[in-house]
Amino acid sequence: MESANDDDHRANGSDDNRLPKKPKLSSSSFITDSEVIEEFGHHQPGIARINNGSFGSCPASIIAAQKRWQLRFLQQPDDFFYNNLQKRILHSRGIIKDVINAEHVEEVSLVDNATTAAAIVLQHIGWAFAEGRFQKGDAVVMLHCAFQAVKKSIEAYVTRAGGSVIVVHLPFPLSSEEEIVAEFRKALAKGKENGKKVRLAIIDHITSMPCVVIPVRDLVKICREEGVERVFVDAAHAIGNVHVDVREIGADFYVSNLHKWFFCPPSAAFLYCRKSPVSPDLHHPVVSHEYGNGLAIESAWIGTRDYSSQLVIPEVLEFINRFEGGIEGIRTRNHNAVIEMGQMLANAWGTALGCPPDMSPSMAMVGLPANLRILSDKDALNLRTRLRDHFGVEVPIHYQEIKELQDGGDAYVTGYARISHQVYNKVDDYIKLKDAILQLVRDGVTCKMLGSE
Amino acid sequence: MSSTTKSITEAEIEAEFSHHDPTIARINNGSFGSCPKSIISAQQQYQLQFLQQPDHFYFNTLKSSMLNSRKLIQSLVNAEKVDEISIVDNATTAAAVVLQHITWSFFSSQFQPGDAAVMLHYAYGSVKSSVHAYFTRAGGRVIEVHLPFPLCSNEEIVSEFDQALKRAKMNGGKIRLAVIDHITSMPSVVIPVKELVQMCRNDGVDVIFVDGAHAIGNVEIDVRDIGADFYTSNLHKWFFTPPSAAFLYCKRSDKGSNVHHPVVSVEYGNGLAIESAWIGTRDYSAQLVIPEVVEFVNRFEGGIEGIRKRNCDMVVEMAEMLVKAWGTELGTPIEMCSSMAMVGMPACLGISGNKDALNLRTHLRVTFKVEVPIYYRAPLEGEVNPITGYARISHQVYNTIEDYYRFRDAIIKLVNDDFTCAILSN
Repeated sequence: MESANDDDHRANGSDDNRLPKKPKLSSSSFITDSEVIEEFGHHQPGIARINNGSFGSCPASIIAAQKRWQLRFLQQPDDFFYNNLQKRILHSRGIIKDVINAEHVEEVSLVDNATTAAAIVLQHIGWAFAEGRFQKGDAVVMLHCAFQAVKKSIEAYVTRAGGSVIVVHLPFPLSSEEEIVAEFRKALAKGKENGKKVRLAIIDHITSMPCVVIPVRDLVKICREEGVERVFVDAAHAIGNVHVDVREIGADFYVSNLHKWFFCPPSAAFLYCRKSPVSPDLHHPVVSHEYGNGLAIESAWIGTRDYSSQLVIPEVLEFINRFEGGIEGIRTRNHNAVIEMGQMLANAWGTALGCPPDMSPSMAMVGLPANLRILSDKDALNLRTRLRDHFGVEVPIHYQEIKELQDGGDAYVTGYARISHQVYNKVDDYIKLKDAILQLVRDGVTCKMLGSE
Repeated sequence: MSSTTKSITEAEIEAEFSHHDPTIARINNGSFGSCPKSIISAQQQYQLQFLQQPDHFYFNTLKSSMLNSRKLIQSLVNAEKVDEISIVDNATTAAAVVLQHITWSFFSSQFQPGDAAVMLHYAYGSVKSSVHAYFTRAGGRVIEVHLPFPLCSNEEIVSEFDQALKRAKMNGGKIRLAVIDHITSMPSVVIPVKELVQMCRNDGVDVIFVDGAHAIGNVEIDVRDIGADFYTSNLHKWFFTPPSAAFLYCKRSDKGSNVHHPVVSVEYGNGLAIESAWIGTRDYSAQLVIPEVVEFVNRFEGGIEGIRKRNCDMVVEMAEMLVKAWGTELGTPIEMCSSMAMVGMPACLGISGNKDALNLRTHLRVTFKVEVPIYYRAPLEGEVNPITGYARISHQVYNTIEDYYRFRDAIIKLVNDDFTCAILSN
């Protein structure tokens, strides 16, 4: 007879020499520097990887745990499906619920990524327009620097269904949260001017490009005051990067990627949906036989596929707690290091950070020398490619349009590097970037020249 | 590594599937498929590449690898253009793509409330739910084609389908969608799709979607010959791909141009194939190993056609062995079997409902270490001692005759022990 503990027993690999062994926890307190190096030993050597923000990172022990789950499925998929999968996903959801301080585990669904979560929320909005609950012209609010996929999702589900879009422009560079709040109020007021009903506000917790921590709690409050029906916080970067308490933030929907700053393998994200009368109307767009059993259950079975990245969340939490202070400790140290490195770079280049340190998470926007003449998104991409191919530096570059730029305006910073700091980064990574940029400036390189190569 | 001129050997096949639980008689390839070690290895290479330097992978590797996979599938299924081939997670996702597209036709008033969809009663549960979620919810009505089971011939299927089309067209009704399985799941039957598609064309059905979830690597697929607007099949079931990957074929036409992946990314508007190739950060490795899979398949004599034929021959041989041993019957004629067959189970087992079928399946797994799905078939009025349970046995390259002997003997033991499913309900 199968024992109820069979799965844990086998997951530990102790009954099968072919399975990779789980690492022993060191009996002394915390993970050591050399253990951290080992955990990220698979990262390509010779690359200064200062872009954790884009695709995240995953330690070797979590990859090993994931492989154990993948193998379990391949060994006996029927048994896995009937006896393990749902239990493990529920367990993962329970852990996330505690981490983010959600009230009920039903409020926590696991999906692939924030892009999927956006499709879930916006498809729901699309139906509301189509079924007449919303009127043509009712509005959705978004930030102008919302992630491109989210913008497209709004086009695909809101605009296409007859809704309108109110865009909030965030100034950048920024010197305080008040600037954001002021712009947000302005945009809402404008939207309501035309008698439009604002059905949904989509607010980033941490914008992607340029990267800034948004005062979401304040903005959610403003939304409530101004009669915005629902608020969706796109916190793709947030978990593991800033403090996340979904009840405190008070949004109706909140999504964050677990593979960016929470060490999960690609890919996993949680979508929090506060319990409400509309909860039953949230559906995963990939419909399975679980349709109608609640979003969390629907998301846990969207056909045969590899769910292993969602199953290793317990192991991820264990990994995080090997660090002093757990996730808070990691966050704080990352933030402090990235600010220190950001300031080092700004000093070396004669530029500045794009926003105050307390509005930067584990990422910072560092102004690039104007000599490089970054004058378009294409320029920014070409510079990024040059840095990767010639200097072995991986860092995304943001082009910031300045409306009052004068001809030959060499004094204006129009490009920013978004540097990240995660536990595997070293000071040398940032020195490499510093020197690469200084070299380009010394050589009189401009982005126009990069483009014509 | 075997030489490229010689076929893969028995020992090599065993090694390729040595990760399968050795204690289980795994005669259910149909549900979750199977993946050889060398493909898992290839997949892990892609996974590692991403983890090593994800930006480089995204900018320089992903798109071209995805295109290679799509080109191979294009030639495998005889699609005209590679644009017509998108890779998605599974047939469940493909169904959502097609059905969401239909929903927009209702929203834009191209289709009217009351317009009909025709689908088989045996359509896969998830597809039925998807039709409900996207078609019925948008105002459409669904006509189900009830096929008899057991079946005696294709004519029975054609006749029922014809009647369903007539019902749908009654009182000037318009048929907007037909969802036709190429191989039904439970009970498993090969459907004469080409003929049914033609019937739909004759009746002016707007969108014809063939759900070929089980098809690739199991039966021949020529999407142009079949003539549907949309065709999907899972690559991880019978085509040795890791979980999970499937292709969705969309015939080039006006209908094809506004079809979107429901998970919208920066690629929205660039065509379904490009949209599907980037739906946010995730592990695409299962979709990138198609070249390695084709190599693997070609190590077998006759390639995929050889594999198919031998699987089909073996499953029929095993099925006939079982019905002889149990004194029962097949659910369909041999010609309507694929690499799966429906084998009647002794009536004395007392399979009286879906719950019994599931309990028996669990009992077989736990007590006898046999993995096989059981289908409950409601008896017709007046039937004497009817067969109400059918086992859907699969045969894939890793199966051995012992797997089926074990199943045979398990059932014989249950019968001899006067076992009935009622015992399991307690």
